[in-house]
Amino acid sequence: MPLPALLLLVATLLPLASFVVLMFWGKRLGNPLAGYIGTAAIGASFVCSVIAMISWLGGGGSGEAHWEAGIKPIAISFPWIPTGLGISQQTAGYMDMGLYVDSLTVIMFAMVTLVSTCVHIFSIKYMEEDPRFPRFFTYLGLFCFSMLGLVIGGTILQLFVFWELVGLCSYLLIGFWWEKKSASNAAIKAFVANRVGDFGFLIGFGILFIYMGNASLPTLWRVLGSAGQGGDIAIAGGVVFPATMLTIMGIGLFCGAIGKSAQFPLHVWLPDAMEGPTPVSALIHAATMVAAGVYLVGRIFPILTPDAKMVVAIIGLITATIAALIALAQSDIKKVLAYSTVSQLGYMVLAMGLGSWMGALFHLITHAFFKALLFLGSGSVIHAAHHEQELPQYGGLWRKIPFTAGTFLVGVLAIAGFPFFSGYFSKDTILVHAAMFARSHAEAMHNSWYWLFFIIPTGIAYLTAFYMMRCWTLTFAGKPRNHHLHDHAHESPMLWAPLVVLAALSIFGGKISVQTMLRNTIRETAAICDTQGKYVGFDTAYQQHLPGEVESMETSPGEPAGETAAAGHPDDALESAHHLVLWYVTGAFLVGMGAAFAIFVRGYYYTDKLMQFAPFRAMHTFLRRKMFFDELYNSVFVGGVRMISSLCGAFDKYVIDMVVNAIGWAGRILASISGIYDKYVVDGAVIGSGKLAWSVGAVARGLQSGRLRGYVTIMLLSLAAGLVVAMALYLR
Amino acid sequence: MVGLPHYLIVAAIMMCCGVGTILLKRNAIGILLGVELILNAANVNLVAFNRYNANASGNLDGQIFAIFVIVLAAAEAAVALAIFLNFYNNFSTVDVERGDNLKG
Repeated sequence: MPLPALLLLVATLLPLASFVVLMFWGKRLGNPLAGYIGTAAIGASFVCSVIAMISWLGGGGSGEAHWEAGIKPIAISFPWIPTGLGISQQTAGYMDMGLYVDSLTVIMFAMVTLVSTCVHIFSIKYMEEDPRFPRFFTYLGLFCFSMLGLVIGGTILQLFVFWELVGLCSYLLIGFWWEKKSASNAAIKAFVANRVGDFGFLIGFGILFIYMGNASLPTLWRVLGSAGQGGDIAIAGGVVFPATMLTIMGIGLFCGAIGKSAQFPLHVWLPDAMEGPTPVSALIHAATMVAAGVYLVGRIFPILTPDAKMVVAIIGLITATIAALIALAQSDIKKVLAYSTVSQLGYMVLAMGLGSWMGALFHLITHAFFKALLFLGSGSVIHAAHHEQELPQYGGLWRKIPFTAGTFLVGVLAIAGFPFFSGYFSKDTILVHAAMFARSHAEAMHNSWYWLFFIIPTGIAYLTAFYMMRCWTLTFAGKPRNHHLHDHAHESPMLWAPLVVLAALSIFGGKISVQTMLRNTIRETAAICDTQGKYVGFDTAYQQHLPGEVESMETSPGEPAGETAAAGHPDDALESAHHLVLWYVTGAFLVGMGAAFAIFVRGYYYTDKLMQFAPFRAMHTFLRRKMFFDELYNSVFVGGVRMISSLCGAFDKYVIDMVVNAIGWAGRILASISGIYDKYVVDGAVIGSGKLAWSVGAVARGLQSGRLRGYVTIMLLSLAAGLVVAMALYLR
Repeated sequence: MVGLPHYLIVAAIMMCCGVGTILLKRNAIGILLGVELILNAANVNLVAFNRYNANASGNLDGQIFAIFVIVLAAAEAAVALAIFLNFYNNFSTVDVERGDNLKG
């Protein structure tokens, strides 16, 4: 096994080892030793991942350096489950299980283990008072193992297995404080919402498996790599995979991502998941697990048809919009961040749908850093404020917890797109691609509605800057609104040290080799898809409208100037789109943040005045109540199910019961008739024959007197009679 | 000259005496005596028929048969006496009228 794959495997198994150890001996190890063990395991994983990354960048893996700075992907698989015949197979085969390591895997490993390590360190302090401290780290260990297994898994089936495992960990950790009814309800809600998505995933997987008989990633790309062109695909054995089925399959698999990445209409579980401990929100519900849906779409990207991508884009657009709007009016600091996460995930999914594979995954990585930072920052605030989460109770906290305030501000700047922070580059990439997509489609289809795919995300960038700055201003700036809380606030190095690390990454994350590695991934995947000379549009699936775009994509922002030159002639379209976007993004940052700071620096003074206008108040209520999604789902789904079940109950009670009762009644009648027959006919015959025998016996018993002389008399009389008869016969 | 009819008459009288004894006696021993009389009446007949049968002159079949009957009678008397003993044990009497346990 090549070195990077081996190291990544070790990095995957270390958290599993920590999980096993803590599961059996966690209670005995106690607080804080259990936390140290969990942290050590994930820290070692991080070290392994970094070494693997270095080895990978050095081209040290398989020894076959195919690209300038990368190596050939490592795909190791072995037969796992014997399967029956699919549509295209002549012989029954095996379901594979295996590893698939390419640049994306390596970079995801580095991101997941780094964020996990920071969260572990943070948790040791944050959870120190908790009676179930060891169990918390047990679950975290299981989660890290599952997440890393999901990333390293080489087949869709394996991906699904770990997918469910991370879902389980999410459920366990949301409901970690299950004494709170709201927490256990939120855990169940998350689990059920994910089940709905996974149902779609299984349908997609079933279609895929029936046609392919194999679900390993390289095989899928090799055979279905031309799906992006939108036609039927001939697969082995003369079978055709129809474009319609491909689209259904793609949408089905995407349903899994809708559930896991909290996309509309299943986004409702993520804000409720904030009932879990804050480090869990940072790790699972911001940085890693919810990004798994985007990762999945990234992995199946080459086999998505244009129609499926359109669905992906629309879902992403809706999610990003509604979540950004709802985030404007939330008063719970974690709810603001949760809706911000949903909105950013919508951004990534939108990017995937528009064909900006690179933008989506780049944003995934940078978002993981700054969102983990923001969540851990909010955790630090909540810790300082003795578990008060409401923004109206905060204010002026920067004097008391300066490190948290500073790092939180870095996070806010990064997510808002402050120039040369990481979020600026990734958001810029997405918006550039969105602009090109919109323009090429608007021109090609003569339909200017396609411009919405650029205008709305840009608008969301303004909103993002606004609500994040509102959150920061209300928390840290201005005058204290709750003096008791303010006077007792404090922070500790154990809490802010991880924040500083993540803040550094939020600033510089856009400049490190993330993009280079993602580009290598594109080359690696494209190489697999291209083995049959098929086209794969990775940067945009609609490449035919923009010739030479693959080349121009090389000049995405954040690249060293030298490579831009090496890539050759930048396309005019890209160049103009880039400049356009640059202004919009910078404008978003300035306008959004400036407005938020100006409005909220005096606390709720201006908004309270605005609240006097009825339309504004109505809109605020609408957004504050989360656009009534919970109420809607409650009445439609829960109420619907209740109504159906009460209908079923009535049917049961009145129809089924009636039939059953009638059958019982008929049985009783029949039985009584049968009883009469039995009593008078059958019993009569039986008793009658007995009586007959009795009366015959009564007559016959008279003869049996028991008197010896009687017998002799009868004997003699018979003899005499016999003699008389004999004589009479003789004499005749 | 005493002939066959005389023997037959004696035998018939013995037979009747035996039957009469059985019918009239309530004592079990008496009944046994009656039975012996009936058997001996039969013996008299057997011997007489053999003596006065011209075809049977020179053989002693009748007499031998009579001896068999006597032996059988002895055996029968032994069995009967054993039954009576048990009867006495059960009822403290040998009155056959009391032994009506087989009454239906």
